Amino acid sequence: MADFIRNPVVALPDSNPEAHFSEEELVFTPEEKAKIVDYVAQYPTPDGAVMWVLWLAQEKFGFLPPEVMRLVATELSLPYAQVYGVATFYTQFFKEKKGTFVLDVCTCFSCQFCGGYDTLAYLEEKLGVKRGHTTPCGRYTLQEAECLGACGSAPMMQVSNGPYAYNLTPEKIDALLAAMEAGKPLPFVSVTLPQDEDEMGGNRRTDAEAVEHYVVPPQAKRTQ
Amino acid sequence: MTKAGDWQSYRRVLLPPVKDLHHLDVYRAQGGYEALRTVLNDWKPEEVTAEVKRSGLRGRGGAGFPTGLKWSFMPPVKPDVPRYLCCNADESEPGTFKDRQLMEYNPHLLFEGILIAGYAMSLKACYLYVRGEFSSWITLLQNELSKVYDAKLAGSNILGTDYSMDIIMHKGAGAYICGEETSLMESLEGKRAYPRIKPPFPAQSGIWGYPTTINNVETLACAPIIIDRGGDWFAGVGAKKHPGPVLYGISGHVNRPGVYEYPTGMLITDLLEIAGGMRDNKKLKALVPGGASVPVLRADMIDGVTMDVESLHEAGSMMGTAGMLFLDEDTDMVAFLRRVARFYHHESCGQCTPCREGTGWMENLITRIDDGEGNLRDLDLLLDLCDQMEGRTVCALADAAAWPVRNTIKRFRGDFERRCRPSAWAVNT
Repeated sequence: MADFIRNPVVALPDSNPEAHFSEEELVFTPEEKAKIVDYVAQYPTPDGAVMWVLWLAQEKFGFLPPEVMRLVATELSLPYAQVYGVATFYTQFFKEKKGTFVLDVCTCFSCQFCGGYDTLAYLEEKLGVKRGHTTPCGRYTLQEAECLGACGSAPMMQVSNGPYAYNLTPEKIDALLAAMEAGKPLPFVSVTLPQDEDEMGGNRRTDAEAVEHYVVPPQAKRTQ
Repeated sequence: MTKAGDWQSYRRVLLPPVKDLHHLDVYRAQGGYEALRTVLNDWKPEEVTAEVKRSGLRGRGGAGFPTGLKWSFMPPVKPDVPRYLCCNADESEPGTFKDRQLMEYNPHLLFEGILIAGYAMSLKACYLYVRGEFSSWITLLQNELSKVYDAKLAGSNILGTDYSMDIIMHKGAGAYICGEETSLMESLEGKRAYPRIKPPFPAQSGIWGYPTTINNVETLACAPIIIDRGGDWFAGVGAKKHPGPVLYGISGHVNRPGVYEYPTGMLITDLLEIAGGMRDNKKLKALVPGGASVPVLRADMIDGVTMDVESLHEAGSMMGTAGMLFLDEDTDMVAFLRRVARFYHHESCGQCTPCREGTGWMENLITRIDDGEGNLRDLDLLLDLCDQMEGRTVCALADAAAWPVRNTIKRFRGDFERRCRPSAWAVNT
């Protein structure tokens, strides 16, 4: 028999993956189940709630190995293949274990020419890992992201699918990493519109935790 | 006088200068939700659509399709067939960042617009599809939405009338393709977001097969303004064939990037001046007027060009999302195109072969040129590849990938030729 038949080139999703979670861990709590019921009620069929439930599962388990996808499928009474298909389609659903903090550095073209790759290179050096990898201590995963929709505040990054950090400089990155080390939650930053600065003298939100302004973007040294 | 008229004295309407406008009570104190009350009490649904038609509003999500016309495509109401609206807040076009700011600073304008659109088309519910990266803004919107429900402005029997409509948040998870309308519907249905073949158009068969309309955030936010000030007022703002206020997202090598609200039909040179001019007094080299997928313009092509569908079409580009990227004279256009091609390669959903394979080949070829190992013939091969991709796929992603490649090579051919090894073979173009 040809070698590739015995040893499939592609790892199939069902080929007995090593489970990351035990049977006891693989349950939703009653509160989570109530949430799932709410999600399902918002759609004509349970299918619509798949993405919400996958988000819920990812928050709970940190990532989505096959057994978690199976749990989601059972919970929604959907075929495993459909949940697997959805989970593998979207980049924000993590299929393998990531660090505690996932740093998504935007390098799409506005950021590319305003220092996105410099930010990425600085983080690579600082954390000692290449893009796409996790530090050996398991704290940080460094990733190159496609446009995150904050082009006016380049270079920027997103931390663990949550808050955005804008107008990054080496000093700002150091401060951010120090805050993460100290376990402080990163604030939601509100970016002031230039016209608001002129007409209202600053940010329009008085309840904003942190405020940032649009600034002159830096000169990019690297573009890849 | 430009098409934008007296833009120096323009007063903002999408993001009016009011502190804490994102709070429901502040928004209502400014006359918010009054347009909705007027519409529910005194107007017939078809009158709303007629008013939007009169305003000349065009979609702000990229394609620029007339909104009133889109609304009128909905089939006649049948009692047992639910009808849906999808609000497209999956803003992931590179260079575009306006919807996020609108959702942060004026979410109630969006909610009011959704409810007015819902009344105009007699809809049951609206799915607000926000991209997964905007999780902070989803929380913000959810908070405000619960206040809207508490104030009986959404849900059943809105403002004491017999009209009921729900607004339901849906969180995406990072796929550019979900910005395409049919793909967004597939994603909502809990499937892989593969675009559908049109026809049937969403108005005939949308989410779960029911009649559906899909509009961009900024488009829906214009609806309360049209009702409040009248379609004729709206039609008188900015360029005649593409009227209304627009959020220009200016980024790149300018002194003061950011989101600016001005009428359509602004001179590009005026907008550059508003954004503080080029950084370090450099010269402008290239401009992307509306997100990654529109053709790039050379600096010598923008004289007298205004930001509206007509003028940009004449100049050889498109309005897109009005996310403008200014690039200075030091910019390496080969590296630029390499990153654009990489983006489309990453974001191609993989359904159609010309796009799935073509975007990959594009990236490989441009990478080879960028690495200094390309041949002159590769440029011809790239243009040929564009021909093979355009119009041969289910959705427009392949076209969106091919346009910037074709036009960047055409308009900056010198930059590319200098990076290629000379060729002993004949070169066609």
